[in-house]
Amino acid sequence: MQKQRGKFKDLIFLSITAVSAFAVIAISIGIFLVLFKESLPSMNKFGFEGFIFSTEWDPVQEIFGAAPALIGTLITSFFSLILATPIAIGIAIFITEIAPNFLKGIIGTAIELLAAIPSIIYGMWGLFTLAPIMSNDIEPFLQSTIGKLPLLGKLFEGTPLGVDLFTASIILSIMIIPFTASIARDSFNLTPSVLKESAYAIGATKWEVVKDIVLPYSKLGVLGGIGLSLGRALGETMAVAFVLGNLNQIPKSLLDAASTVTVKLANEFTEADKDIYLSSLYYLALLLFLMSFTILALAKIFLLKAERK
Amino acid sequence: MILNKRKIISSIALFICFLTACWGIFWLSFILVDVIRHGISSINLNLFLKDPAPPGEEGGGLRNAFVGHLLITLFATLIGVPIGVLGGTFLAEYGRKYNFSKIISTLADIMVSVPAIIIGAFIYAIIVKPFGHFSGWAGAIALGIIMIPTVLRTTENMLSLIPWTLREAAFALGAPYYKVIIQVVYRGAATGILTGIILAIARVTGEAAPLLFTAFNNNYFSLNMSEPIASLTVTIFQYAMGPYEEWHAQAWGAALIITLFILFTTITGRLLIKRKYKE
Repeated sequence: MQKQRGKFKDLIFLSITAVSAFAVIAISIGIFLVLFKESLPSMNKFGFEGFIFSTEWDPVQEIFGAAPALIGTLITSFFSLILATPIAIGIAIFITEIAPNFLKGIIGTAIELLAAIPSIIYGMWGLFTLAPIMSNDIEPFLQSTIGKLPLLGKLFEGTPLGVDLFTASIILSIMIIPFTASIARDSFNLTPSVLKESAYAIGATKWEVVKDIVLPYSKLGVLGGIGLSLGRALGETMAVAFVLGNLNQIPKSLLDAASTVTVKLANEFTEADKDIYLSSLYYLALLLFLMSFTILALAKIFLLKAERK
Repeated sequence: MILNKRKIISSIALFICFLTACWGIFWLSFILVDVIRHGISSINLNLFLKDPAPPGEEGGGLRNAFVGHLLITLFATLIGVPIGVLGGTFLAEYGRKYNFSKIISTLADIMVSVPAIIIGAFIYAIIVKPFGHFSGWAGAIALGIIMIPTVLRTTENMLSLIPWTLREAAFALGAPYYKVIIQVVYRGAATGILTGIILAIARVTGEAAPLLFTAFNNNYFSLNMSEPIASLTVTIFQYAMGPYEEWHAQAWGAALIITLFILFTTITGRLLIKRKYKE
């Protein structure tokens, strides 16, 4: 009897845990299905290409196109990635190869605290502190230096207002540094010390060891970390919402105000009074979900491969 | 000569790496000092004990937002933690042999980083729309869903660290599996799981995006989770974007409180786990 009851209770506990685990699958699929269903009216009306290539966003005439928001998302994400990646890798090299032991923990934690600061704090700080500095000092300075160059100069045309793609990308780049840095650090630590020691033994300098042994060995892990950062940057909302201006236009330079998918959602979701308006916002959300999910999945695959090696 | 050149290149490259670390630390201190500098002057008892004054008027506080935020976070924890811990238990114990457990782990890892605003849109469609109004519950469920994958993954990892022989010893005494898990495995992994929960709470405390169109906002004090309810983060967004100096000051105050809370919990979590696994 005693044993029977134990078995029965075990079965109950097993079922409860199993249901909880499958909740993750249910939620993921649920999100996709719900977003898909909600965006159907907009899909039917505008189609796929008609939606993503159209620049019109006119709630009054009920014409909606995603191009400005998508372009804003892509520009801020990639620009911040370009800024953040070398810095994050540098930090990982510093922590694993250069810093004395007592500094390793402190700097590692400090960098990870950058990821703990909520995005709304980044946004507020960006609006009140960074944006004025950008518009008064940094952007005019860049205009008078890089802005004079023939091709790059195009990127810095316009009035430096501080509320623009450039400021948003800088903030995003600070926010995503810790993700690449911590994964790169872990991958660097996986490099077998025999490999490094052999390189040192034949007279390689520290930088040569890092460049020719550690980096090639941990390539996959670092790529995974970059992918994870990109996924984060695509979906970042509040930090960008403060400093981008939610202006529905295709930006001509980095100093233009613009919009992103997330900023549009945050600002207009509660204002959407018509079904087709809300449905178009859901369509945007669905596209964002698919983009970030794909990139995060790829990053995860890279990381799993790196682990197996 | 050649050796010298290589040495110089190496030193320069390593110095640049040092500078990148300084770059990271610089922004962290810049943001923290700035939040403290702006926020400290708005911290007074009124901020915690009074409800908002009409826009543009002096005085008033954010009592409604503090209480609302506490309620939402509390219920989010009550939703997210049990599902996360139990799900993690399944993956590490009953389901560890199966391939689909690995798929669930991977999926959870991906869901950790899925944009929070998407979760908000999801909850809006399945809860806010059918009920016809914003509610505290919708906000709590949205945050709870964000917590699940984080808690689940830490629980799974922490349980896998418990040596298998410990379980076998308990099996040998005739204990059924569920008793082994609850009385032996959970006990061994308690610190680790607790850390996971603390870090998950720290993360959702700072979320604003999923609350924008679930819990929405409320200018009045309310304990009713079935109604729209104020939260600190949404209030910060509204106040910081608003036109009044008074609002900005209060937003900075709230930002300081939230930042300090999150830094404190995050560092506590890290110290806990460091102490536990140093041995």
